[in-house]
Amino acid sequence: MGPIVCATRGGEASRRTQEQAIALAGQKQATLIFLYIADPFTNDTLSNEMHDALVDELSQLGHQLLNIARRRAAERGVCAETVVRVGRLQEALEQFLREVHASTLVIGAPQPANREQASPPGELPVFAKHLQDTTGVEVVLVT
Amino acid sequence: MGHFLVTETLIIELLLIVSLVAMAVRRLRVPYTVALVLVGLLITSQQPGQLELTPELILALFVPPLVFEAAFHIELDQLRDNLIPLLVLAVPGVLLSTLIVGLVVALGTNISLSNALVFGALIAATDPVAVVALFRAMGIPKRLTFLMEGESLFNDGTSIVVFGLALTAALSATGANTGQAGFNLVVALVDFVRISLGGLGIGLGLGWLMSRVIAQLDDYLIETTLTTVLAFGTYLVAEWLHVSGVLAVVAAGIVNGNIGPRGMSPTTRIVLFNFWEYLAFVANSLVFLLIGLDVNVQLLTAHLAPIGVAIGGVLLSRAVIVYGLTWLLNLRWRSIPLAYRHVLFWGGLRGAIGLALALSLPAAIADRELLRVMAFGVVLFTLLAQGTTMQFLLRWLKIGDRPAQVVARETRLGRLLAAQAGVRRLAELHHDGLLSDDVWAGLRDEYRQTSNRLAAEMDQLFAEHADLEREVLLQARREALRAERAALGDALRQGLLSEDVYRQLVREVDRRLEAVALISRATTPPSDASAEKAPDRGSSGHA
Repeated sequence: MGPIVCATRGGEASRRTQEQAIALAGQKQATLIFLYIADPFTNDTLSNEMHDALVDELSQLGHQLLNIARRRAAERGVCAETVVRVGRLQEALEQFLREVHASTLVIGAPQPANREQASPPGELPVFAKHLQDTTGVEVVLVT
Repeated sequence: MGHFLVTETLIIELLLIVSLVAMAVRRLRVPYTVALVLVGLLITSQQPGQLELTPELILALFVPPLVFEAAFHIELDQLRDNLIPLLVLAVPGVLLSTLIVGLVVALGTNISLSNALVFGALIAATDPVAVVALFRAMGIPKRLTFLMEGESLFNDGTSIVVFGLALTAALSATGANTGQAGFNLVVALVDFVRISLGGLGIGLGLGWLMSRVIAQLDDYLIETTLTTVLAFGTYLVAEWLHVSGVLAVVAAGIVNGNIGPRGMSPTTRIVLFNFWEYLAFVANSLVFLLIGLDVNVQLLTAHLAPIGVAIGGVLLSRAVIVYGLTWLLNLRWRSIPLAYRHVLFWGGLRGAIGLALALSLPAAIADRELLRVMAFGVVLFTLLAQGTTMQFLLRWLKIGDRPAQVVARETRLGRLLAAQAGVRRLAELHHDGLLSDDVWAGLRDEYRQTSNRLAAEMDQLFAEHADLEREVLLQARREALRAERAALGDALRQGLLSEDVYRQLVREVDRRLEAVALISRATTPPSDASAEKAPDRGSSGHA
């Protein structure tokens, strides 16, 4: 069985998403991978040096967040790996799922009131469906 | 000698009053500056005519430290982000305000249009100091505070320039023999640009020059003294060259505040910031106390009608500028939310600059006394009516409201830290033999239970609001980067790093700090989320 990938970035829904992924990995005895995609913001005004600094800081934040998630998984007796990738969210996610032959992807949907969400709530199921269709990976959307 | 002692005694008396008022307002819900004006009014009603507020006193003595201190704290990034709205509010805003107030006053009183325009110009500068202190206490979003302070900083300078031009026009319209040439609109516009840009240019030049000199030194006393020379000297040099002294001080303050501290030791930075904070506090306190002391209540009550017209004009012009100009700005630039606009409108208080200009009106201008009384009336109204009600507006707009989870985290963190400090102290007492084993054990167990409960509550809070955890990580990263920056400065001073390497490394740290700020801005649900739209650059993400 392919690994379970839990894509997280420390947002409002991240804790319950991680909890669900940990529970799922424990239940299925599957490898768990916490994935953080450092997606630099679309901002043409940033210089190259500034863009690099932004990617570095995003990656560093990703490592820290994933380390916390891994520790939590270990407390539940689940051994997890952490991976930080840089790139556009959708492309990087698809590529990673194919690379590791993932069986399941667990992603979270922020509460509607939360402003930080990347896409409106209605678009998340569409995004999940698209991922499932293009990669063949089962997508679990945690709300 | 006798005169000197009288002056010294007077200054000590004023400082004592200022201190007493500052202590008293801690217990009262009245803005500090408003309380000072009220105390001044109270004193002058008992002993009228003790002190005279002169324009020279305000403009040459009090304004440079106030403006310099405010400009010194402006961050270039923030300025860059908000430059367009600030310039629009400070330049077309002041011109529009002058016209609207002038027209309203000319229509509503017997004052001629040319003199009414002089009044419009002198009362155009905003002075939000009474509300900005409240903003800080209530944790109002930085951007709103910055817009308010930045607008005031720039419109101080532009209103003085416009006032000078309007005064020339009024004097030539009345045919007063002032020795000045007649008014010409084109010449006036050229003068406006020359005086404004000239002031800014001198400020930029002197600010940069002084920063270079300061960078060569490592003596906090000399460095602090040089910043004092810069603040007051820039004003004098600019005025001597017949360009805007206030705008020169603004520019010098911004340059010195952004370049200067880079080459300073942490000690110098602390001394300098404390010194300017103190100087601004004293200058600000004395200005508002003197405003109260200088008010002639009888004259005010005798001219209630024209004062009412002036207040109406000022409020109308403020509404047009804030809602009209910002609506235009919102079409193209980063949006100023409606709630912010309400605050900008009601927070458009008037203060020291307006009074200084009113007091500087020459005898040749008709209705001089009436214009002065109107200026005092408007300043008093904005301070007493708008300044005291701002907190209610902020609460109604829910601008100061911070997310419940953030407050909960801070509360628990505070309790946890307090509990840890308590148990540490008890351990010391026990160690010194002042607490018996039994008492110590009982207290320790109770403290442990409290600490464990609070830690569990924090964990639960993080579980329910996972984004808090990310914000804590970003805060920690910011702190670490600031420490890195300070360490580089220390290494430079100790000769461990060359200037070139230091600059390169500091630039790297600064870029990282900026990156962290970008991430934080784009992903954090801050207290201003309720009012401010998300920035255009949205972060991609999932959970």
